[in-house]
Amino acid sequence: MIQQIMEPWRWQMLFAEWPKFLKAFGITLEISVLALALALVLGVIFGLMSTSHNPLLRIIARVYVEFFQNTPLAIQVFFVFYALPYASIVLSQVTIGILCVGIYTGAYMSEAVRAGIGSIPKGQFEAAASQGFTYIQTMMLIVLPQTIKIILPPMVNQMVNLIKNTSIVTMIAGGDLMYRANAYATNDVMSYGPSYLLCGALYFVLCFPLTTWARRYEARLKNRDVITNTKKDKVEEVAA
Amino acid sequence: MKKLIALIMSITMLFALAGCGGGDDAAAGRTAADITADGVLKVGVKTDVPGFGLLNTADGTYSGVEIDLAYKIADELGVENVEFTPITAATRGQLLDSGDIDMVAGTFTITEERKMSWNFTTPYYTDAVSLLVKNDSGIEQITDLSGKIIGVATGSTSMKALTAAAADAGVELTDANFSELATYPEIKAALDAGRVDAFCVDGSILAGYVDDTNHIVEAIRFSPQEYGIATKKDNTEWAAYLDGLVTGWLEDGTMAQIIADNGVVASFTE
Repeated sequence: MIQQIMEPWRWQMLFAEWPKFLKAFGITLEISVLALALALVLGVIFGLMSTSHNPLLRIIARVYVEFFQNTPLAIQVFFVFYALPYASIVLSQVTIGILCVGIYTGAYMSEAVRAGIGSIPKGQFEAAASQGFTYIQTMMLIVLPQTIKIILPPMVNQMVNLIKNTSIVTMIAGGDLMYRANAYATNDVMSYGPSYLLCGALYFVLCFPLTTWARRYEARLKNRDVITNTKKDKVEEVAA
Repeated sequence: MKKLIALIMSITMLFALAGCGGGDDAAAGRTAADITADGVLKVGVKTDVPGFGLLNTADGTYSGVEIDLAYKIADELGVENVEFTPITAATRGQLLDSGDIDMVAGTFTITEERKMSWNFTTPYYTDAVSLLVKNDSGIEQITDLSGKIIGVATGSTSMKALTAAAADAGVELTDANFSELATYPEIKAALDAGRVDAFCVDGSILAGYVDDTNHIVEAIRFSPQEYGIATKKDNTEWAAYLDGLVTGWLEDGTMAQIIADNGVVASFTE
C-alpha cells in the first residue's frame, strides 16, 4: 500500500479520472442529505411516539426501533435490491440508499430523542400542563428545545454514521464514492493505495465539518446557559 | 491554532493509515527454497468458480484446475501442505503485496497494466468473454446491448473488453451501462431479479451459472482472457521458477490433462 502511495504516476492517473470521483462524491452527498432529512423526521416522530401515553403508539415505535436496530443494514439493502423486484417494486440504487439508510438511522435517532425527552424533569411537563399547554405545545415549545443540547452529541454521532453508512450502496452498484473508489482500485493498473486514500479523505471532508459544527454549537448552547444562570443569580442577589 | 492542530492531526492520520501496510511491503517474499523449508505453500484461489476454484462448503475442500495446479506445484517443491486462501478480484493484489500468500491462481487475467504491479507466468489457460442472458431477454448479438444494464464483477477486465467489442459493432457503452458487483453469485441474483439484463464474464465462469431460465449467447465471444499465476512484483526469482513449471506442463500436455480432468473446455483459440 505505502509503495503505491509513493508512486507519483499512480496519482497522476487518478487525478485524470477526477470527474468520475466528483460525480460519485455528488451521489454520496445526495444520498447523505436526503437520508439525513428522512432520518431526522422519523427520529422525531418515533421518538415522540415512544414517550407518548398511548400504548398503541408506543408499541408501533418499539417495533420499528427493534426491527431496524437488530437487523443488519446490509440485509435490508439486499432485500430491497434483490427481493422486491419479484413483487414488481424496482427502486433505483440511489433511492434504495436514501430509504434504507434513512429508515435505519431514524431508528437510532428516535432512541436518542426518546432518551432526551426522558431526561427532562417531570416538573417541566407538569408546569406546562398547569398553564394550559396542549401536548403538542408542551413538546414543541418547552420540552424539545431543552432536549437539543442533551441529544446533540449522540445525534451527530448518528449523522456521521449515516454518511459513512451510505457506502453500503456500493454492494448494489450504487455509483457512490466507495463504489467508484472500489472500481478504480480494482481496474486497470489497480491503484488501490491512492484510490482508497482519496476516498477516505473525501468522506473525511464530508464528516469533519459536521462534527466541528456540532461541537461549536453545543459549546455555544452551554455558554448561553451559563450566561442565563449568571443573570439569574444577579437577579436573586438584588431580590435578596 | 485550532485549524493548525486539526491539519496536523489529519496528516498524522493519513500517515498512520499508510503505515498499516508498510511493514509487510518491506518483506521481499519467499523463494522456492524458503517454501520447501517451511513446508507450506500459500495459494490464493477462487471459491466460486466451478471448474477452476470451487469451495465445497460441506467438507471445506477445494476443487478445480487451479487447485490441481497448486498441488502439482507443491509436489515439485516437495511440500506436503497447501494452504488455500479465498480471494476476490478486489483482494488478490493486496494479499500478494502483503506477503500473506505466495501466489494467486484464481482466474487472474494477464494485462499489460497488471504486469506493472505483479509478475505473471505464461498463461495456463485462455478463455473468452461471453454473456449470460435470460431466455426472454431478446439479446442475441452485441448490437442488442444498447441501453441495457450489464452486470460485471468488481475489478474484472470484462467491462473494458465488452465496451471495446461493442464499440467495434457501433454500440456505445458507458459507466451507466454497467453494474459492478462484488461476487459472481450476486451478479446471478441480480440477473434473476431483473436488476441486470446480462451477466458478462469469462465463458468458463459463466458455464457454472447456466440453468433453465438462461443461456450463454453463442454469437458473442470476444477478447481472449489469458489466465496466469500472479506473484509479488519484486520476487522475480519465484516468478521465474513458476513460469518454468507452467511452460513445461504446457509443452508436455500435463496442463491439457488437468483441464480435461476438471471438465473444462479446452483453451480458446482465435
